[in-house]
Amino acid sequence: MAFLSILGGGWIKPLVTHAHSDHARPGHGNYLVSESCLPLLKLRLGQDIRAEGIAYGKVCKIGDAHVSFHPAGHILGSSQIRVEVGGRVWVVSGDYKPQPDQSCEAFELVKCDVFVSECTFGLPVYRWQEEEIIHQQINAWWQENVEAGRPSMLFAYSLGKAQRVLRGLDSSIGPIFAHGAVHPFLPVYEKCGVQFPRVQKPKEGSGEWAGSMIVAPPAVEDAGWTRRFKGASRGFASGWMAVRGARRRRNLDRGFVLSDHADWSGLLEVIKGTGAECIKLTHGNGEPLARYLQERGVDASMLDGSGERTGEE
Amino acid sequence: MARESVREKSRGEKMKGFSELFHDLDEMTKTGERIARMVNYFEQAPEKDASWASWFLAGNRIKGVVKTGELREWASQRSGWPVWLIDECYERVGDLAETLSLLIGGNKKADPISLSKVVEEILLPLAHADRSEKAEALKRAWDRLRPMDLLPFHKLLTGGFRIGVSRGNLCKALAEVGQVDPAIIAQRISGDWDPGIRKFEQIVGDERPEDSWCRPFPFCLASPLQEEPSSLGDLKDWWAEWKWDGIRCQFLNEENGGMLWTRGDESVGESFPELLNLSPHLPTGLAIDGEILAWGPEGMRPFSRLQKRLGRKEPGPSVLKKEPVRFMAYDLLKMEGVDMRTLPFLDRRKRLESMLAELPGGFPLQLSMPVESTDWEKLARQREESRDRGVEGLMLKRADSIYSSGRVKGDWYKWKVDPYVADMVVVGAQLGHGKRANIYSDYTLAVLDQQGELVTVAKAYSGLSDAELKEVDRYVRKNITGKFGPVRSVRPGIVFEIAFEGARSSGRHKSGVALRFPRIQRWRQDKKPDEVDTLENLLGYAQMGERVREDGTKTDDAGNLLLF
Repeated sequence: MAFLSILGGGWIKPLVTHAHSDHARPGHGNYLVSESCLPLLKLRLGQDIRAEGIAYGKVCKIGDAHVSFHPAGHILGSSQIRVEVGGRVWVVSGDYKPQPDQSCEAFELVKCDVFVSECTFGLPVYRWQEEEIIHQQINAWWQENVEAGRPSMLFAYSLGKAQRVLRGLDSSIGPIFAHGAVHPFLPVYEKCGVQFPRVQKPKEGSGEWAGSMIVAPPAVEDAGWTRRFKGASRGFASGWMAVRGARRRRNLDRGFVLSDHADWSGLLEVIKGTGAECIKLTHGNGEPLARYLQERGVDASMLDGSGERTGEE
Repeated sequence: MARESVREKSRGEKMKGFSELFHDLDEMTKTGERIARMVNYFEQAPEKDASWASWFLAGNRIKGVVKTGELREWASQRSGWPVWLIDECYERVGDLAETLSLLIGGNKKADPISLSKVVEEILLPLAHADRSEKAEALKRAWDRLRPMDLLPFHKLLTGGFRIGVSRGNLCKALAEVGQVDPAIIAQRISGDWDPGIRKFEQIVGDERPEDSWCRPFPFCLASPLQEEPSSLGDLKDWWAEWKWDGIRCQFLNEENGGMLWTRGDESVGESFPELLNLSPHLPTGLAIDGEILAWGPEGMRPFSRLQKRLGRKEPGPSVLKKEPVRFMAYDLLKMEGVDMRTLPFLDRRKRLESMLAELPGGFPLQLSMPVESTDWEKLARQREESRDRGVEGLMLKRADSIYSSGRVKGDWYKWKVDPYVADMVVVGAQLGHGKRANIYSDYTLAVLDQQGELVTVAKAYSGLSDAELKEVDRYVRKNITGKFGPVRSVRPGIVFEIAFEGARSSGRHKSGVALRFPRIQRWRQDKKPDEVDTLENLLGYAQMGERVREDGTKTDDAGNLLLF
């Protein structure tokens, strides 16, 4: 769990880096998140939760700690959280990516003494191409499917990845549909200036799906919901798709290597950039990255209690 | 009509090379699509490329191009990542060729390169270069290849070329290109041939007499018998014989000598000179199907003895004497150059018998005898003798069946004896490969010794459903207690029923026993780790097998196994 509780002067305050379910856990009160994360958090955890949004860069004092939120470039509203106590600075990265992404705030490098970094893709086999290239690949695949007279079913996590994918779709190719889990987040993104092509709900469709693009969360991959899109070519947009085994295991037709996490070189670049003397790794199989950093004289280790990671959100 | 229009379209498409073919085949999930894609490639590829592509897709490889250890070292130099990190990546990716491709990256500005150029200018010279030349040549190769060329290139380099194309489907595609019978194609691409010499036209062209010269026919395969044998009808319509535990081979004889071909299309004659020496005594234009068996003066020996002969070319006199073999013949495919495969089985069998009857005695070639019975029940009882006889069970062949290419249900059945089973607990796990990369799918299994300690006896990979695999994977991840290279030790908690074909004592294994073909039969969720089988039981199975063979299966003066 990557939310942060600060204990100090009797304060316990859940600071949440972003609204993905493995980070934003229900059952706490008085959440503090970035301003653009707030509506997303409420969509995930309920409109009646107690939560507060804070502008990026604005410092607030909690007990002895000076706390500020900084864009992490992971999804809309995602933050790194900077905590300064007695002149010593910790930054908790949450999930992040330094690569450009048109659907969220750009990553900001924050100097610190201790950097708690995610390491989902902490191996050099993971390296991302520019997102425009991936958008082109997706559109070309969609075009091929239109010509073959079949629907295109693209799996992408409902918050973040789905919006990123939708933004890059070329609506001149055909009609675009999205699963119900994706829709609620679209107006929030639009309010922040992200523009989407026209995205319909399947029930608004004619029932003739050939040539359509359907974006859905991977959770419905094997569910009855997908059955109506007969003969669909199935693709998945995820960093895990960099490895063929991951695609073949899911019996997918296509894998698109589009990730909202830092790739190996992104991790190294950011870790170096923070100037931190101590690196603590979490959310991933970080042993190889830790060893690699140690061999280069960096004090790096796995954060206790961080498990192996299998999902990407 | 429909196909014509597809061809029109493919002609209009931009020229696509072997790398594109490779990636398309790798991504396609439907057999029909794969075949169509191959047809499309073969129709537009340059002749030379098409020959090489057929050869590679048929499962051939250029051997000894580079050692994987060297490859990792050079990849480390190239990428700047330490070798241990490359190994970590390999563990995650589960495929060395793919790992290297992801790490090397490729040259985005390189021009497309044809398959025949890759072979002639890179792979073949590499195979003949010394170590330092190899390193240099490989660096130059990496500079010449686009990112998309790397994976097929590394696959050719490391030899493991599996992309979901069976030989049968390759034959179908080539047959469509040349409008010839897939069986003829199958024969043409079998065995040892040089794609640098053989023109593509000779692979897909019209049939010629030299087509069948000393190349094996596609093997006729048996289906497992999954119903009651009585469902096969009258026993009189069937031929039963023992299912031999050896190496299935076709023995071909032509004027300039004999050849032995395995089902894996390997020519193994050089390892068995005593069989090739039979050549002058046999008629030419001959093809017989049978099994190579380890066979001493006492009779048939276990399969493991045969391994002392495999892979050892031109064995010396002492090995020949200590580890003799025999060819157990059971079918006749060609006689005096005439294809016999469409004759009914009993006719082929009669010809085989009369041909072998003319041979003088004492040759290491003999006829597989029928297991005769009056009814299915009696035959079933005879089948129970299989383990004592050292055979795997019975073969049932329909008396009027032709010799088909591949597996045709209803013609040949293998009626194996039930496997041994034992409950074992998972004590170690390793990430799988290919489709199971990044899933703990390879398990180390243990049983209890006399002190009540768990002792490792086997490894098993297959047998679980996808859902079960996922669940076991989840358990493993939560219960890792240690790390030994790629193997994680796992807190004992999962019990599998393991099936295996046999046990033998082994000095090389710590447990003292080695199992043959262990695989997961089912997950015993009802059993706890302390309820697994004992090592004593497994050692008992091993001793049983050895005792039986020492007692000796009965043989006649010529060394033939006496069946009744």
